[in-house]
Amino acid sequence: MAKDWIKKFFIYLFLTIGAVVMMFPFYWMISSSVKTAAEYNSFPPVWIPKNWLDFSNFVKAFQAAPFATYFLNSIIVTGSSVLLTGFITILGAFGFSRLKFPGKTILFSFLVAFMMVPFEMLVITNYQTVSKLNWIDTHYVLVIPFMTSIFYTYILKNFFDTIPDSLYYSARIDGASNWKYLWRVMVPIAKPSLVTIMLLNAISSWNSFMWPQLVINSDRFRTVPFGLFAFMSDAGSDTQLQLAAATVSVLPMIVLFLFARKYIVSGVARGGVKG
Amino acid sequence: MQVKIDHLTKKFDDVVAVSDFTMQFDDGKLVALLGPSGCGKSTMLNMLSGILPVSEGKIYFDEDDVTNMPPQDRGVGLVFQNYALYPHMTVLENIAFPLEIKKVDKKEREEKAKEMAKLVHVDQLLDRKPKELSGGQQQRVAIARALIKKPRLLLLDEPLSNLDARLRLEMREEIRRIQLETGVTTIFVTHDQEEAMSISDKIVLMKDGYLQQEDGPQELYDDPANLFVANFLGNPPINNLTGYIKDGYFVLEDDSGRIKVNNENAKENQQVVLGIRAESALIGTKEDHDLEAIFDQQYTMGKEELAFLKIGNQQIRIYLSSDYKFQKGDIVYLKFRSKGVYLFDKESGVRI
Amino acid sequence: MEEKKKKKRREDSGYIFNRKYEPLIYLLPFAIGLLIFTIYPIINVVIMSFKNGYRLSGSYNGIGIENYTYVLTNKYFLSAIKNTFIYVFTVVPIATILSILIANLLNQKIKGISFFHTAYFLPMVTSAIAVGISWRYMFNKKFGVINWLLGLIGIGPIDFLGATAGVAPYNMLTVIIFGIWNMMPFTIILLLSGLQNIDPMYYTAAKVDGASSSTIFRRITVPLLAPTIFLTVVVNMISAFKVYNDVIPFWAGKAGALGTNLYTMVYWIKETFYSKLRLGQAAAASIVLFIIILFFTMIQKYIQKKTDY
Repeated sequence: MAKDWIKKFFIYLFLTIGAVVMMFPFYWMISSSVKTAAEYNSFPPVWIPKNWLDFSNFVKAFQAAPFATYFLNSIIVTGSSVLLTGFITILGAFGFSRLKFPGKTILFSFLVAFMMVPFEMLVITNYQTVSKLNWIDTHYVLVIPFMTSIFYTYILKNFFDTIPDSLYYSARIDGASNWKYLWRVMVPIAKPSLVTIMLLNAISSWNSFMWPQLVINSDRFRTVPFGLFAFMSDAGSDTQLQLAAATVSVLPMIVLFLFARKYIVSGVARGGVKG
Repeated sequence: MQVKIDHLTKKFDDVVAVSDFTMQFDDGKLVALLGPSGCGKSTMLNMLSGILPVSEGKIYFDEDDVTNMPPQDRGVGLVFQNYALYPHMTVLENIAFPLEIKKVDKKEREEKAKEMAKLVHVDQLLDRKPKELSGGQQQRVAIARALIKKPRLLLLDEPLSNLDARLRLEMREEIRRIQLETGVTTIFVTHDQEEAMSISDKIVLMKDGYLQQEDGPQELYDDPANLFVANFLGNPPINNLTGYIKDGYFVLEDDSGRIKVNNENAKENQQVVLGIRAESALIGTKEDHDLEAIFDQQYTMGKEELAFLKIGNQQIRIYLSSDYKFQKGDIVYLKFRSKGVYLFDKESGVRI
Repeated sequence: MEEKKKKKRREDSGYIFNRKYEPLIYLLPFAIGLLIFTIYPIINVVIMSFKNGYRLSGSYNGIGIENYTYVLTNKYFLSAIKNTFIYVFTVVPIATILSILIANLLNQKIKGISFFHTAYFLPMVTSAIAVGISWRYMFNKKFGVINWLLGLIGIGPIDFLGATAGVAPYNMLTVIIFGIWNMMPFTIILLLSGLQNIDPMYYTAAKVDGASSSTIFRRITVPLLAPTIFLTVVVNMISAFKVYNDVIPFWAGKAGALGTNLYTMVYWIKETFYSKLRLGQAAAASIVLFIIILFFTMIQKYIQKKTDY
């Protein structure tokens, strides 16, 4: 009994220490985002800022750089990427899972092999391609190159494969077309998988940094992480303003995570790829 | 609707799954495709539904040649072994789904779905999802869904095999009731002879892709065409005694006894199997009996007892009234009825 | 035989239900994206890497391995390889060990576990650039909370971000610490799911046999978790070889306080093709990166095959 109690105590102790370390950068970001310049530059550091509700840093940050535009861009890009990639992934996964055509198995194993090619290796050519298409400084350039995801297709195909054939035959005998069967039966059944894919896609699209850095020059098309980076490299900006902007920029993902933790975690556990 | 199949054959590469079937299924009847697993019965069903293409031969629904007709145009209702209910739809939506595809308007299709639900007794469960239903209820929903578009032919693939023993009895009677009420021509696949015997108008017994025999259940039981049919039907299974023919007698293979057989087709020295249904072996007397057996053991099966006896080095099971009290090793005098006793050629299994 | 027949049967029946061109329509959008943005670039990067001195304008002087000899003798690329390897072989083992411990704690049945899950997993969804700003402040030599903590135990202050007299000894450490923090959530998730996949029956059986909890951990948990650990290590190594974002927040996008001291392979590739427009050399460098990653992927596949229970 006593032993159990001691064990529990240590579990909580270690977990709490770890959690504090993991969460501290977030606390520091949020608390420092409302610090005055004096608080920010004081040593020993100010743990708890005096005025929590002083949002002047936020206001200044949004005045100093067009963060509203960055947010709008990120929302447009993330939203359309989730929809477009989701749509293409659904069609592709259905094609590979349900429809029959010669050479399917071999083709699919080739695709799986392509998954290990890092995007960084494709980036040079893709940059050339989008330049030729005159897509530099557009929204498409942040969406279209990612419209086909072998990884998401692979996850969804595997899920589709678990739906019994008999459902398909049943629906087809009742006169449903492949299209109807896909949207009326398969997609609703695969909702958990689909949500997971869309969340992972949203996270990676929202946080995407290197690609926007390459293909976006104009302030008008910058997304949040890249806009933040530009703001940060701008010599004139104070760190507490940067922190205010950073706080706002991570907020959507934090909210998403709090609401859909289970889906995200299960997707990550299954796929093993970081967003 | 009458279904005719004409020299129907299905090959998978070199494996023949269904070989050269010609027969007809009469309008409004319930027919069982019976046989052990891998006998081709499901293949046959899938060819009738159109899921599987036919290798050779023709299928006619009444006068229509449907051999190459796509499944959705054949007007068949198909119930799968796992029911294939759509897990995300309610019972009502499931039943109404075939009409939804036909773009029947919502009110009308729900009305029809409710009618169907009533027919199969699931009208209390309309708002439930499939996973909230018992196996038997799922089966009923699947049948309702298959019936809602008024199919010309209802096909059931192993409809009872996913149910526990009690539900199985209940559901097989339900299937019969629904079939009689709707009058739809129905073909179902099963590996369970009892199921087939109890509810069907006709049984088509298959093995390794070949037709063994087709007839009414009682006819099949009483008049098996070969040893396989005799063995497959009946519980407890028929007793097989091996031996040979000598001077108009069946002689047990170890010469431990013989029975007079009145069968002019039996040839002298032919190796044969004598099939005796358990209920066809009665207790005789020392003076009037066909074979002597040694009592081994018995099991109580409700109202009757099943006794295991030894005849020479072979074994035989018979029903025994509880009036008899035998001990292990006692001599039992067996008297056979003429009904339920058959002679088969040992090699070919063909009835003599 | 039966299995084969079944498979064949399924194959057989599918064709009835789709018209000949139908699969094509479903796969067309997928195929277009794949061809343009994956397959063509793969082929092109290989070709480019053999076009000597290939530049954005399309000019090059002959076919050969000049790009490879250039990158493999380039001082900065070699230092990028070195930095990348240092990063990989410190961040991955440390993050893995810490994650094993935490995953085990998170696998206990205790109250409030879902709060802890949130705390440990959250950094996974937030951008390294954004949180990196907070870390940069924490690493600050004068006002940073880390130096304040170190000061409490009599160390420092350490100049994590800066350089003196042309050396920046602590820049790498900064990126490593940040890298570990970034890698942990993902690693914990994988390990935790590995732990949860261990059938509790083994624990029950061991407890019935009277095994102590340390014996259970050593003889059951670790061996059964081993495949997951290997997998995690390799997946993390592959992603760590591509390290780029972790360097960005601290020096306003530059590679270290000196501007060149913290090149990573991806950083060097990006700069060579994007700022210097030397596509051939960047292509050769990315092939080198790919070969390294491929090597570790092969190890992963091999381990997966061997440990597939």
